[in-house]
Amino acid sequence: MTTLTVARLLARPAASGRATLALPIVAFGISTALLLTTLAGAMSFFRWHDGNAFTYQALAIFASALLLVPLASLGGSAARLSARRRDDRLATLRLLGATTGFVGRLTVLESMALAVAGALGGVVLYLALTPLVALIPFRGAPIGAGALLLNPLIVLAVVVGVGLLAGVSAAIGLRGVVVSPLGVRTRQSAPHSHWVRVLVAVAVLAAVVFCVANPSILGGVLTVIIVLAAAFAAANAVLGLVGPFVIRRFAASGLRRATTPQRLIAARSVLESPKAAWRQVSGVSMTTFIAVFAGTALAMIGAVSGERADRDELILLDDVRTGVFITLAISFVMVACSVGVSQASAILDRRDLYVSLDRLGMPVKTMDAARVRAVLSPLRIVTVGSAVTAVIIVLPLAGVALVLAPLSLLTIAASIAGGILVVWLGLLATSPVLRRALSEPIVMME
Amino acid sequence: MAAILEASDLIKSYGVTHALAGVTLDVQAGEALAIMGASGSGKSTLLHVLAGILTPDAGQVSLHTQRGTVSVGALNDGARSALRRDAFGFVFQQGLLIPELTAVENAALPLMLKGVARQEAEQRAGQWLASLGLAGLEQRRIGQLSGGQAQRVAVARAQVIEPLVVFADEPTGALDSATSAEVMDALIGSTTGRGRTLVVVTHDESIAARCTRVVRLRDGRIVETRSHVGGMDYIQTPAQGDRR
Repeated sequence: MTTLTVARLLARPAASGRATLALPIVAFGISTALLLTTLAGAMSFFRWHDGNAFTYQALAIFASALLLVPLASLGGSAARLSARRRDDRLATLRLLGATTGFVGRLTVLESMALAVAGALGGVVLYLALTPLVALIPFRGAPIGAGALLLNPLIVLAVVVGVGLLAGVSAAIGLRGVVVSPLGVRTRQSAPHSHWVRVLVAVAVLAAVVFCVANPSILGGVLTVIIVLAAAFAAANAVLGLVGPFVIRRFAASGLRRATTPQRLIAARSVLESPKAAWRQVSGVSMTTFIAVFAGTALAMIGAVSGERADRDELILLDDVRTGVFITLAISFVMVACSVGVSQASAILDRRDLYVSLDRLGMPVKTMDAARVRAVLSPLRIVTVGSAVTAVIIVLPLAGVALVLAPLSLLTIAASIAGGILVVWLGLLATSPVLRRALSEPIVMME
Repeated sequence: MAAILEASDLIKSYGVTHALAGVTLDVQAGEALAIMGASGSGKSTLLHVLAGILTPDAGQVSLHTQRGTVSVGALNDGARSALRRDAFGFVFQQGLLIPELTAVENAALPLMLKGVARQEAEQRAGQWLASLGLAGLEQRRIGQLSGGQAQRVAVARAQVIEPLVVFADEPTGALDSATSAEVMDALIGSTTGRGRTLVVVTHDESIAARCTRVVRLRDGRIVETRSHVGGMDYIQTPAQGDRR
């Protein structure tokens, strides 16, 4: 009962409280809507039972596997966002003598409440998007809204799952507050990424390449497809494992060479939390990863279309092309959402600091430049790393000719450029948040 | 002493609340001026207006430099920002240092903003840190310093550009009395001790007692000015005029 009372008190909007509550809710809402739409799209293919149905279903599983890991990652970011936005007040409660159990329950409860609120909004958004998604043609006709309506039990399971994800993530994320509230409040030491991550990543990547190169040892066709889909999802997860380590290495090198305030602050910001820097750009990593597969698939379709004229096959190839573009479009939306939410949150988190820097006379464009550099520098590393990883996996599957075909290279380049553009636009879109924070300095009547 | 800052008839309101209701004040070059008053009296607003952080609704602030007089309130945002960067130093209650940067990087930042090369900026910042008793702690991050040490880094950051005026807003508000005394030693020693000017907002009488002049605000007006000259206190109130 006490937990509920305090939770209700903390839920009251404070000075920057509306944004504190709204940002995680929006992030959870968009994650949930994308998850439901992806699920609905994939499951709509399972209403077919003719000869070609299995191909569509296999491709749906494959596309979902490519999207589910980054979707889970976006959901996880939203969960951490909701937890981090509250940890100062929770740490204060801990300093005031609240028990570990009390702080833990409060944390989990708050994060789950925000997540469920966002997820319910996401359900509404999914339903609102359904008529539009229903217009997308597959097998020569629009999918239709009826095929995209998920079983209510599945929708309920997703809402509950998002809530649970938020609760678990909050509990893990706030261990620091519970163990050492002062440590969290004063940020005593920068975290370090261990090189063992690289070894694990190389091992997983090797296993994935082995599976891709030797599908025959896996057994039946369905098993092959499921294992391959899992392998691609694993490869994507590997990027998340090794990304922060590589970003940290490059940032350390950037720090040594920094000659301007913006370069110095950007490098130090990345080093402060390579994981957070990775999370901000991980969407583009995934887009790049998908782009390599998409580019190769489009090149393959182009080659096959030129050779055959069978109507059913042409429709299938058209549908694969549509699927590729949808997968890329969803990944772009995830990137835009992730960058916008995390950047706005980062500005609000550091509002006092930005105001103080403004008072010292630091130009806003310098603050903005530091912020942009702290995101775009890791982004460059991430896009190259992801593209190389994806090519390593695709090569045994498709061969050099298809991977390096002009259409393939064009798709990859356009997707990378699009991803970077989306991040840059996300950063631009949050500049007004910074300017508003500075134009409304903390009023002191004293 | 000549006035380095002159404020006349300053008025500043937040909605229906008058934070400054006609303040006229001269800040003399080389003095340590304390601004005191109860919460809500307008003392922080006065400091922000003097420093060009806020613009007054009416009245003006003039800064007298060797190159001429600058009307602070007439400058646009960018020019006031440049003025703060070039002519003023700031120490805030919570330090408000950049937590990711080391002590020496924080202290060097104002110099780098003025275009000084990083190596030279860090060298000069290091000298300031050493003079404030922080030798050997240059590479520590802010979270690895005590409150008093962090506040001395803030003092070094304020002093490193050798500003005309240092503004301090409750610089010891978050510290215990012993640490407060250390920080004030550092702040006063590095400003008036070197012929520079210090304007400090404080609640603390013991800090005010170390300043050469104290003005007290109530409801946005100066209600008392106390000068400490040659061991004697001179008190001036708007109603009573000068008295000893």
